[in-house]
Parts: sequence; C-alpha cells; structure tokens
Amino acid sequence: MSEVLFFIAAIAAIVGAVGVVAMRNPFYAVLALVCHLVSLAALFLLLRAEFVAAAQVVVYAGAVMVLYVFVVAYVGGAEEIRSGNAMRVLGPLFAVAVAIELCIALLGSALSGINSQGAAYKPGFGEPARIGKLFLTDYLFAFEVASLLLLVAAIGAIVLARRRRGLEDDDGSIARVIGERRPSYTGTMAEGAGTRQVYQEIEAGHGGSFEIGSAEPKERAAAVVASEDGEDGA
Amino acid sequence: MSFPIAAVTYFEPWWIQIIKALIIFLIIFGVLPMLTVYERKLLGRFQHRYGPNRVGPFGLLQPMAEIVKFALKEPFRPTTSMGFLFRAAPALSILTAVGGLALIPWGPVTNIFGTNVGLYGIDVSVGPLYVFALGGISFYGILLGGWASGSKYSFLGGMRAAAQLISYEVSQGLALVGVLITAQTLSLVGIVNAQRGMWYFIPQVVGFLIFMVASFAETNRAPFDLVEADAELVGGYFTEYGGTGFVAYLFAEYVNMIVVSGIATTIFLGGWLLPFGIHPPTWVDPFVVLAKMMIFMTLFIWIRATLPRLRYDQLMSFGWKILLPLATLNLLVTAIIVVH
Repeated sequence: MSEVLFFIAAIAAIVGAVGVVAMRNPFYAVLALVCHLVSLAALFLLLRAEFVAAAQVVVYAGAVMVLYVFVVAYVGGAEEIRSGNAMRVLGPLFAVAVAIELCIALLGSALSGINSQGAAYKPGFGEPARIGKLFLTDYLFAFEVASLLLLVAAIGAIVLARRRRGLEDDDGSIARVIGERRPSYTGTMAEGAGTRQVYQEIEAGHGGSFEIGSAEPKERAAAVVASEDGEDGA
Repeated sequence: MSFPIAAVTYFEPWWIQIIKALIIFLIIFGVLPMLTVYERKLLGRFQHRYGPNRVGPFGLLQPMAEIVKFALKEPFRPTTSMGFLFRAAPALSILTAVGGLALIPWGPVTNIFGTNVGLYGIDVSVGPLYVFALGGISFYGILLGGWASGSKYSFLGGMRAAAQLISYEVSQGLALVGVLITAQTLSLVGIVNAQRGMWYFIPQVVGFLIFMVASFAETNRAPFDLVEADAELVGGYFTEYGGTGFVAYLFAEYVNMIVVSGIATTIFLGGWLLPFGIHPPTWVDPFVVLAKMMIFMTLFIWIRATLPRLRYDQLMSFGWKILLPLATLNLLVTAIIVVH
C-alpha cells in the first residue's frame, strides 16, 4: 500500500515540477507548483512526518501559492512569459550547477541507503509535541533566528505596502449636506400621502391667499416657490 | 523487497477503516438533503412563510425532486471556459469538504463485536492542522471554478474567495490555539477527553466567538457570503455552473458547514460528553455529537436569515483589524494563565 502511494506521490511531484518549468501559461505553471507541493506533503506523510506534511500544505499550498495564484490571475492572465536575454544565459548555467551538486551529493553517499531499512520508527516521531520540544531545546538558536527573519519580513511587508502620503485631509466636501431646498409638488412622500408641507406653508402665511383645492397643483406649487424665493431674497 | 517507509495504517485493521469511512460518508450523505429542507423550512419561518411543503409529507421529499431536476439538466459550459479545470474544480471542492469529515470524533474507542473500533474517521496527531490543510486546498476548488468559467462575475467571486479565505483562516487558527495549549494536545479525541471537567466553551469563550465568526467567513455563509453575493456578482464563482456542477458546489458548502460544526462541537462543546455527570451508554455518543452539531447548523441558518451582507471593505478591516488582534490577545492571555 505504501509503495503504491509512494509512486503515485513521487510521479505527481516530478510531473508537477516539470510542469512548472515547461508550462508557458503562468497560471498553469502555478497550478503545477501546487500539485508538486501537495505531492511532497504526501511523501512527508509516508515518512510519518505528519506535522511537516500538514505545515507544507497549510503554509505553501494554502497560503504562499494562494498569493501566487491571486497575482497571476489578476496580472498575468493568459499572457505567456518571455524571459529576458540575461535569464536565457544564466538559467541553464544555474541548472547545470545544481545538477552537478546533486550528482556529487548522491554519488558521495555511495547510495548506501538503498539497501537498508532506514532508521527505526520511534513512537511520537513527527508529532507536533516532539518537534516543538526540539525547537525549544536543541535547535533554539535556529528557531529564534528564523522567527526574527519572519518578523523582519512582516515589518518589511508593512513598510513596503503602506500608504506613501497618507490620506488627504477631509475638507468637508465628502460628507457635506447639499443645502438645496426642494420645491413643493416635486414628488416628496409627504405630498404624496397628504399635503403636509403645502398646508404648513399656507398656514404660516407663505402660500398666499388661495383656497386649498382651488388652483391646479402646478400653479399652487409655483405660488409657494415664488413666495419662498421672495422670502429668501428679503 | 520492502521500502524503508513506515506503514500508513495505524492500529486498526484496514478493513475497519474502510467500513468506517463508508459509514461516516453515507450517514452524512443521508443527512445532507434533510439539512437543505431544514434550512429552507427555517428560512421560511423566519420570513413568515411556509417554506417547501408540497413534495411528500411536510415537503420532506423536496430535496429528492431537486436532485432529480439538477441531474437531468443539460450540462453546458461557456465557450470562454477552460474545459478540464471547469469540470475538475467542483470535484476538488467536494473532495476537500468530504475529507474534513474524517476528523470529527463521534465517540471514544469502543468494543464492537470483539474488535476495538474508534468512533471517528482518523485521530491524527496534527488535529486541527489537518482541517486547515484541507481548507487551504478547498480554496482552489472555488478559485479554479471562478477562473475557469471565463466570466467576469465568476472571476470576481473567485478572487473574493481567495482574499477572504486567507484573511479569516489566520484568525480561525489562532482562536483554536488557546484551546490547544489548555488541553496540551492536538488530537481531537484528546481534546474531548480533556473537557471532562468543563467544556472549553466557558474558559475559552473569546476563542469560541472568534472561531465561530471566522468559520462563517470560511464557509462563505451569510453575512460573509460576498463570494457569491447575488446582488453584485449574480452567483459569484458558480455563476456559470448549472446542473451537477452547481449541486457539487452546494454539496461542498453544506459539508463544510457540517465539518465546521463538528470541529466546533469537538473543541468547544465537549464532543460526545454530556454535562452534569450524565454518562449514557456508548451507542448514544454519536447522537450527542449530532445533536450538538445541529445547534451550530441552526445558528448558521438563523444568522443567514437575520443579518444583512457586509460590505467588502468592512469584511477585510473586520478580519484584520479586529478579529486577528483579538485572537492574538486571547492566545497571549491563555498562554500566561496556563504557564502560571
């Protein structure tokens, strides 16, 4: 069972890694990278490194790659990437250097691990409790340095993403109430339901001397507006 | 020749694990349609109407009719969509949602017909991290669905999902850490056992509230359903899906609700434990868990019927400026108390 899972995960990891390099469309390249990272998590799981596997998926597939996808989906789209001249020269050079390094490391170990059963499994290995204990005892310095690095990165992100100038002062133009009086009989709710405004203004003496209902609404409105204008001018 | 890889299986025989997986899936699969009816009935009552009441007694067969209707619909897709991803995205959503079901503990290890069986899918040592890992992948189901549809509404819905899920996953995780350091274990079964004295709902009430709010956002439920805001985005990421694809997303959403309810039950409401020293026989335990989960499901529906949708900037500033500092503070205070 574990052999089958190993080969499925290993093949998926290699296919994903090749896909990242080979895909021209950046969106598919990012998806291939996600596939690769999830397959790696499966391999960690087969090695009983449960916490590392979960952290791999949560941090890389779940957080880092989400940002990649986010940016590529917004900015990249279906456009294909053409690398610059410098990259064309440097890329293969670095690839060859890494390949030579890997060969040296592999051959240097004389592949002695292939025929062995590997280290024995100890209960509790790979569990968060064990890893946490190691972090705070044997590897405290590395742990603290890594946390410091993350802290610096977090502060750097905030500094880079902050507003350059800050918000402009509010001169009151945004929330200013527009002081425009609405003429009567232009469709307010009060007019629709009753005739509150017109009545009030008639009662207050603004409306002139006409009887209610004696004139057409438009004329009455004109009369009210005219009287208001006269009052404002006075 | 055997490979130097540790065995995948734990202490139970493999056939028990397969049977457990089938039983859990089938029970949830049977409960789900009832849940949709329950939600529509409740929503109806909240809005002074009856809800579905025509198909079958009390409208209980409504989901059957819906399923038949959806299954018989013509599978179509927009000409601008990406064929493979368009079909794979809903499947990915279902996969990650169902995977979370394995973690909910329904009861302790029990002797059934002479075999010791743990009444849970798996009891992983990383506990809630497993759920967050699945949650991290479930995001791709939504985002790919939105992106592969080739429509601007779907795309915007998918992008909103991306931002929202990242923002609230942090608070959701931090809210749980308070419980984890109190219980001193990550195993969910261990956390339930640690609540024999008092449910963590009481000492960790701040963490509980933060977790619930973040869970509403993580499951894209109202008032955080901006991902599918129908007033702005037609249907969000599943705008272009009809028939089975749409049902797949609906299914995933409900399973996600069940998983979140199960996790909240386990971590804050004492799982299968009952208060006041009542110790029912073991076969009652799964029903206790189910009943507690129903409380949360009702809460989900209640909130949906009650609260209006947030604005997007409100959602973001609430997540980062209020929820996250609060979760951090809760963690800090809990850590100080535990160490003392």
